[in-house]
Amino acid sequence: MIEYRQLYKTFDVPVLAGVSFLVESGETLAVVGPSGTGKSVLLKTTIGLIVPDRGDVIIDGQSVFSADVDELQAIRRKAGYVFQNAALFDSMNVFENVAYGLPEGALKRMGRREVTARVARALEDVNLDPAIVLGKLPAELSGGMRKRVGLARAIVGEPQILLYDEPVTGLDPVNAASVDRLICDIAERTHVTSIVVTHDIEGALSISDRIALLEGGKLRFLGTPDEFRRSRDPLVRAFADRQAAVAAAMDGSARAVREVERKAPALP
Amino acid sequence: MKRPLQAIGGVGATVSRHAGGMGILAWRTLTALVTGQVSLREFLAQGYSMGVQSLPLVLVTSILSGVVTSQQGGYQFTGSIPLYVLGSVVTSSVILELGPVLTAVVVIGRVGARITAELGTMQVSEQIDALYSLGRDPVKVLAAPRILAGMPAMVLLVGISNLVGVLAGMFAARMTVGLGSATFLYGARLFWHSYDLFYSEMKAWAFGFIIPLISVHMGLLTRGGAEGVGRSTTGSVVFMIIAVLVADALFPPLFLN
Repeated sequence: MIEYRQLYKTFDVPVLAGVSFLVESGETLAVVGPSGTGKSVLLKTTIGLIVPDRGDVIIDGQSVFSADVDELQAIRRKAGYVFQNAALFDSMNVFENVAYGLPEGALKRMGRREVTARVARALEDVNLDPAIVLGKLPAELSGGMRKRVGLARAIVGEPQILLYDEPVTGLDPVNAASVDRLICDIAERTHVTSIVVTHDIEGALSISDRIALLEGGKLRFLGTPDEFRRSRDPLVRAFADRQAAVAAAMDGSARAVREVERKAPALP
Repeated sequence: MKRPLQAIGGVGATVSRHAGGMGILAWRTLTALVTGQVSLREFLAQGYSMGVQSLPLVLVTSILSGVVTSQQGGYQFTGSIPLYVLGSVVTSSVILELGPVLTAVVVIGRVGARITAELGTMQVSEQIDALYSLGRDPVKVLAAPRILAGMPAMVLLVGISNLVGVLAGMFAARMTVGLGSATFLYGARLFWHSYDLFYSEMKAWAFGFIIPLISVHMGLLTRGGAEGVGRSTTGSVVFMIIAVLVADALFPPLFLN
């Protein structure tokens, strides 16, 4: 269980202004909201990558900001973090990047064969073919593949918590849907607690057990996707309606494409 | 009156902040070394990159500095001072000053700038955060091998630079003012102090510590995308050059009296 207790953080302007809520074990929570409302800052405070001005995060009864160095590293090892731009290590190939997600000294303890097997399994879990990608450098991968490798690195250590920072930003709709499916699959298979920061409302509604809406550094809404759709809060409505508009537009585009294909002369 | 005081206060605060940051970085590096948490493989890789790969450029600068010192000394001494003194002037200039300082400038440009840009890029692309999130300490993984490799690499480079600079000066003396090698070496031995070599290598140790320490510190402080990386790399190079020249200026009163 993750508990956010009265988090405050100010950079030039207040980014978090007293955010408190609970995330139950095994739950998938999507965090949405306008840009600059502290979603990514909230995610980074979860494992102490950003230190709040006030407040605390409690993970399984352990305070993140009262922990000493060793305790903090232990907390971080419980979590896998998927960064917005994957944050793969440029100088390492895919194998080395994913293997880095295993605890320090894993190669010595487990042996090369076991490490290779775990890396290959993690890559297969994110629908990448190890035979193709293992030796490649991050610069040789597409954006979607980089995100998947980042996800593989996050899950290879079998964490109890997965933190996703805008996992589908910059991806085309097909890749975005596939990453959303992966998030669901991993949550169902491993019962991991997931927090997904996203701008993609459609994806958030489809993958999450609950949705949190942040606005101006405060929690504006917290509820299930159904409650989100039914909410009368104007900001929630704006987000939900936008999702409906996007869905309709995509449906319309698909129809238009089918129409063009129907009218187009058959290729010789 | 208020503005100059504010400016001085601002500079003082900035210097204190950087000094504090680098002090902590140096302490954590030492702790990592003592507790055996520095990867030998990474240390050797950094040492190779700083030392062996910098060697060609260091050779070029040492040859040129030896040749120029010899030519200019020969031009000034001809007809007024016995030419064998040129051996001493070239040897002392190269070993006491030109070898360590020019090697430091080469390493600042080739290695220091690279380290700041590399770590700065890792910082702005969240790779440093990724290390933290994976339960790793960037000081142990990235900073310590670079800082520790700088010292032996500089000692090696300055030693080679001194030797090559003196030999190049001796060759230039023969070619320009016709001073034979035996006479050049006679002059060099006449005013020779073995301590000078130790002094030169002490400078190498100091510069080999200062350069990677500043470059790592500035790299880890980088903020603000590609522009931020450019800004911190430029700042780092300026900072390293000033720090090396200030340290160089402190050496004679501290160690030559």
